[in-house]
Amino acid sequence: MKRLLLVLALAIATGLAALLPKPACAFGDGGAFDPCVLLAGGITGAARPNAGSRWSWEIVQRTSAPARLKPSQVRADDPAIVSGPFVWLSGISALSPFSAQEISGLRKFFALGGLLLIDDAGVSDDGRPSAFGRSAREQIARVLPDTSPIALGPDHVLFKTYYLVRRPEGRVRGPQSLDAIVRGGKAQVIFSSHDLGGALAHSAAGDWEMQPVPGGEVQRERAIRLAVNLSMYVLCSNYKDDQVHAPFLMRRRALLGLP
Amino acid sequence: MHTRLAVNSDLPTWAVIVACALALVSLGVLFALELRRRERGGPLIVLTGLVAVSALLFAVLRPTRVAARESVLGARAIVLGDTSRSMALADNDTSRASARDKVIANLQKQAKEARLLVLGFGAGPPVPLAITKAAPPFAGSARSDLRAAIAAITASQDERPSAIVVVSDGRLDDPSEGAPFEGFAGPNLPIHTIATTKSIPADASVRRVSTAGAAVAHVPFPLSVEVGCAGGLSCDELTVTARELREDGEPAVLATGLSHLKDGKGTIDLSVTLERAGTRILEVSITPPSGDTIPENDRRLITFHVARERVRVLHVAGRPTHDVRALREWLKSDASVDVVAFFILRTQADDPNARQEDLALIPFPVDELFTEHLPSFDAVVLQDFDAQPYGLERHLPELANYVRKGGGLIMVGGQNSFVAGGYAGTSLADVLPVTLDQSPGATAADVANVVPAWTDDGRIAPLLAPLRNVIGEELPQMPGVNILGDAHPGAIVLWAHPTRTTPSGAPMPILAIGDEGNGRSIALGIDGGWQLEFSELGARTSGRGYGALWDGLLGWLMHDPRFESGQIDLVSPCVSGATTKLRIQLPRLDVQAKKGLVWSLEVRRLDKQEAPVDVPLPKPLAQGNRTLEVSLPALAAGGYTARLRAGQGPTTRTDFACEAGGDEWADSRPDPDRLRAIASATGGTFRYAGDDLAIALPKPAIVTSEKHVAPLAPPWIWTLAAACALGVHWFARRRNGLS
Repeated sequence: MKRLLLVLALAIATGLAALLPKPACAFGDGGAFDPCVLLAGGITGAARPNAGSRWSWEIVQRTSAPARLKPSQVRADDPAIVSGPFVWLSGISALSPFSAQEISGLRKFFALGGLLLIDDAGVSDDGRPSAFGRSAREQIARVLPDTSPIALGPDHVLFKTYYLVRRPEGRVRGPQSLDAIVRGGKAQVIFSSHDLGGALAHSAAGDWEMQPVPGGEVQRERAIRLAVNLSMYVLCSNYKDDQVHAPFLMRRRALLGLP
Repeated sequence: MHTRLAVNSDLPTWAVIVACALALVSLGVLFALELRRRERGGPLIVLTGLVAVSALLFAVLRPTRVAARESVLGARAIVLGDTSRSMALADNDTSRASARDKVIANLQKQAKEARLLVLGFGAGPPVPLAITKAAPPFAGSARSDLRAAIAAITASQDERPSAIVVVSDGRLDDPSEGAPFEGFAGPNLPIHTIATTKSIPADASVRRVSTAGAAVAHVPFPLSVEVGCAGGLSCDELTVTARELREDGEPAVLATGLSHLKDGKGTIDLSVTLERAGTRILEVSITPPSGDTIPENDRRLITFHVARERVRVLHVAGRPTHDVRALREWLKSDASVDVVAFFILRTQADDPNARQEDLALIPFPVDELFTEHLPSFDAVVLQDFDAQPYGLERHLPELANYVRKGGGLIMVGGQNSFVAGGYAGTSLADVLPVTLDQSPGATAADVANVVPAWTDDGRIAPLLAPLRNVIGEELPQMPGVNILGDAHPGAIVLWAHPTRTTPSGAPMPILAIGDEGNGRSIALGIDGGWQLEFSELGARTSGRGYGALWDGLLGWLMHDPRFESGQIDLVSPCVSGATTKLRIQLPRLDVQAKKGLVWSLEVRRLDKQEAPVDVPLPKPLAQGNRTLEVSLPALAAGGYTARLRAGQGPTTRTDFACEAGGDEWADSRPDPDRLRAIASATGGTFRYAGDDLAIALPKPAIVTSEKHVAPLAPPWIWTLAAACALGVHWFARRRNGLS
């Protein structure tokens, strides 16, 4: 009897909820940040499968930006590659050469102004790139043969889109800078040799999956901040380069001893 | 028919002269030598000698009889009467135009032998001068371009005139003061000039208003004002004031200054700043001294086409999304747009897990933006922005006033827009093109996926033409829409929900545009516009659809002529008290005519001192006739706005000034010296209207229309007669013992 009453109460509550004005909170998710996993060059899934949802969770907790807690994934040769402005390719082992269809799909994506993050999950603890990192650069060179990566300086907008970040860090401390292919003034491919996903990977049980080296949890926080900045770069572009922010950011960077 | 004698036409003139000279010499010798010999028959010899020489001369000349039909043709002279508006100025008890007409009438009486053609000159080629006894007070041409009139006469295929007579007050636009007159009318064409008056009216005036370069919104520009005093008025200094005539209130004083006059003339430079782009009316006025007899030229109304250096846009977003990114990138990619952006990156509920100094966030300066800086923006974009948490609510009345005063507003959808953003029932909702449900528990959004439907208005709207050129009828699927109400009166819906309706039963608007006061607003109830860029449709169209959409939206908001539903221009400057013509261009009339759209034109004073005038338009409009001219009723001096509206949709407007007098009355002094110089430079004569008008016009020409030539006798008769006469003379001489 008690169970019947409980079921009845639940049904009534559900019915009443359905009659209430529909909230708008679901509206707008289409434009939310989506750490969409790119499947290309033999990659069949993210190297850190739980990193994407944690990345989104951190965005939602820390910022006003909406993010998809269940990130999507898309094949490079799928027409849906152009359904969003951001994709993320991570791996450990070497990529197989991109097919012509994958190259074509990625070129369409870049032509529309999309941004690709290549995160080397196999990078060694001392920051040496893995076979994935090296092969990814080779394959991207086939997609965008007219440009080559350059190092993003510490004054690049990526390091001030939300947090003031001194240098990139992930699961490993890695190189001092991020490399990027910049086209039309915008970074379109960002190469990370820091295993950013490794620092973000968070199990369903509530534990961090990997320990950042050598900085531990402090380094993880800095990696999360870089991830937040990356998503803000995706959503706001170079907003923080606007002149209106310049005096404020100069003062604050000077206080922090940043260049 | 006239008859006369002449020598044979085969003789050259020199032969005639030689023959006559020889005859005279012969007769002289005959008389001198033979008449002394009276004793030996001298008279007989002289007589026969005279006959013989005469007969010989006739034998050489062989006289003919010429019968001709001839007429006298007077010289062609053109009288150019000044028809500019300055001729309407008073001159003692009459006007300069009356004096001109009197002079022309006298000329026609005095020069009866001449063929006088009376033309009037003003702007462009001269036209036949119609002399009317009761002309309107400010009637006449807005210019007095003598050079253009004479150039048209000399270039004409008609008979070239022998002389030109100019009747004017001398206050000419071209040739201007100090310009050279040499070669003015070409060789052998004297220009006689007659000044209608020499009396200078007691008048203080704004003689000239000029500016260096174009007026640009928000940028100070110099206004050079020349003032003058004449006719015995005593004024050492004059106060000059520049004001902007505004529809939303009293004229705004932009600058004022004191001009010191020397020799009756003074110049002052004022620095003025116009905040709004588009057509603006400036009033430049003086405080006249007592005794000023022409109050009409104490103020000038100048129409300025204020350009935008760049369109200044305030972009405020409630949270960063792909839609925000797409709009920002489009705004930043357009060099003609100066965007100031503020995005809310962190709400009070967010925990950044960092010290404040580790964040690159600045406070949202809502009070500063929406009070101090608001007028400096041409358009405001509120994207997915909740008015309540950030203190915008208290500035909504100011933002609504900003729109009514001519600003542009776009509200872009999202979960914090429209009803969800707390805008329903506020003063800002009044200036949006759609109503918002302000009832408690109102539905803010429909989260179901939807493809917006084009309305008939959307299909023909010029502002969406670029988008339709890129994507045609296809639109991407949107992840939900904001719930919007019916379109306000005067607004039109361009995209609508395919299934949802408003409380009135109309399809729910998704994209609507409308006018409010002098400004415009747009409601876009979706946040998926970015999918025009990132989607399969976007990939097929290279993402150009998004830019095309916003190019049209922002362009329409800024009154870009490309996106207006019509064009209005003045055919000629508006003159107080005279009929003014407007030229109207309509777009795609064939489609709209099929819809039965009713076009209306309203003209109203900016100061609203008079009721608006509805100007009737031709109805029904002929298909294909996209351009028409309509006459406005006589208007009083002031600033006006003309609004063209298709049905109940947004209006296309143009502002214009109507002046009493204008340029032609700005300097009321006659300028006889200039007329005298023109006459002197071209070989003509100068007279005042009150003088004797005897002007030396060229003499008439004789024209022969029919001519008959017949010899008085055949040549052999003359030869025989000469031979006989010589024989008789020889016989007489022989009888008297001469050789």
